[in-house]
Amino acid sequence: MAEEWRLLDTGLNDAFYNMALDEAIATARSRRLVPNTIRLYRWMPSAVSIGYFQSMEEEVDIEACDEMGIDYVRRRTGGGAVYHDTNGELTYSIVVDEDHRLVSEDFLETYRKLCSGIVLGLRMLGIPAEFKPINDIVVHGKKISGNAQTRRMHVILQHGTILRRVDPELMFRVLKVPSEKIRDKMIRTVKERVTSIRDVLGRDVSFEELKEAIIRGFEESFKIKLIRGDITEFEEELAQRLKDEIYSRKEWNFKR
Amino acid sequence: MGKATYKVKEGKLIKVNLTLNEGRIEEIKIMGDFFLHPEETIEDIERTLRGCILNEERICNLIRNALSREGAVLLGASPEDFARCIVMAGEKDG
Repeated sequence: MAEEWRLLDTGLNDAFYNMALDEAIATARSRRLVPNTIRLYRWMPSAVSIGYFQSMEEEVDIEACDEMGIDYVRRRTGGGAVYHDTNGELTYSIVVDEDHRLVSEDFLETYRKLCSGIVLGLRMLGIPAEFKPINDIVVHGKKISGNAQTRRMHVILQHGTILRRVDPELMFRVLKVPSEKIRDKMIRTVKERVTSIRDVLGRDVSFEELKEAIIRGFEESFKIKLIRGDITEFEEELAQRLKDEIYSRKEWNFKR
Repeated sequence: MGKATYKVKEGKLIKVNLTLNEGRIEEIKIMGDFFLHPEETIEDIERTLRGCILNEERICNLIRNALSREGAVLLGASPEDFARCIVMAGEKDG
């Protein structure tokens, strides 16, 4: 019988809750309160997340975000700034024990293994996706998914995005450019280096279709069975607390 | 304050902001889209660099020591890359 993991589809939430819930699930797993888990989610309102080591002021155009009603949050994980459009992308997270067969001491190898579910899911949609070290998934050399991982309390948390469609102009209204002079150049660069499901297939894939493919991708690639479940009371309470005390606070979001 | 940005070949982007006081690092922030596990090690590295003179090799050694003390893993950049960017930022201070 295949190993069973929990599947969560938490739908639309704000940036602070989204980051808080990923951490809450990892904490719950470290205390053996929940099984290994894959979560699918989206961002409402649209939001920018920055990597743990980035500076909010240097990466994000705060004023533009405030004007457009776009949230901004610091992640627990490293990596770069990401614009999470409500309708433009699907986000996933994986919470798995450090001693699981999919996890090795080598971070690159673990990225490769954990990204393989997304790679296979995208291939099922007819997208020739490939893992590209360190932490990207690309199609014809262009990035379609970025991923980031952290290890705490003997649990791995990896989250990442899958681009359904991409809008480089909007991306650079919310992300800072070093100078106005090179804004157009940066937009061109993104167009050359980033792609989306719509760009590759020439059609929109619905969130339902995308989720089904990603779920099957994870099941086949990880050799697991995903069982739909709900977040526990422990996770919900902890997520609310982490949102209130950390992720929605200036002290966290502007700490670097 | 001195600021520098350094793109690691085949790797990530490092940004450093620092201030010097009589040739020694007074305040420093190492930023970027690299990965460092555990993440909090960055604060240890910054602490350990305060008071250090702007010598690339010495800075690099301090970073290496901080990493091994924590059993930390740096991805997408090396201690040498950090040290390079720190010296670049230091040369721009003042």
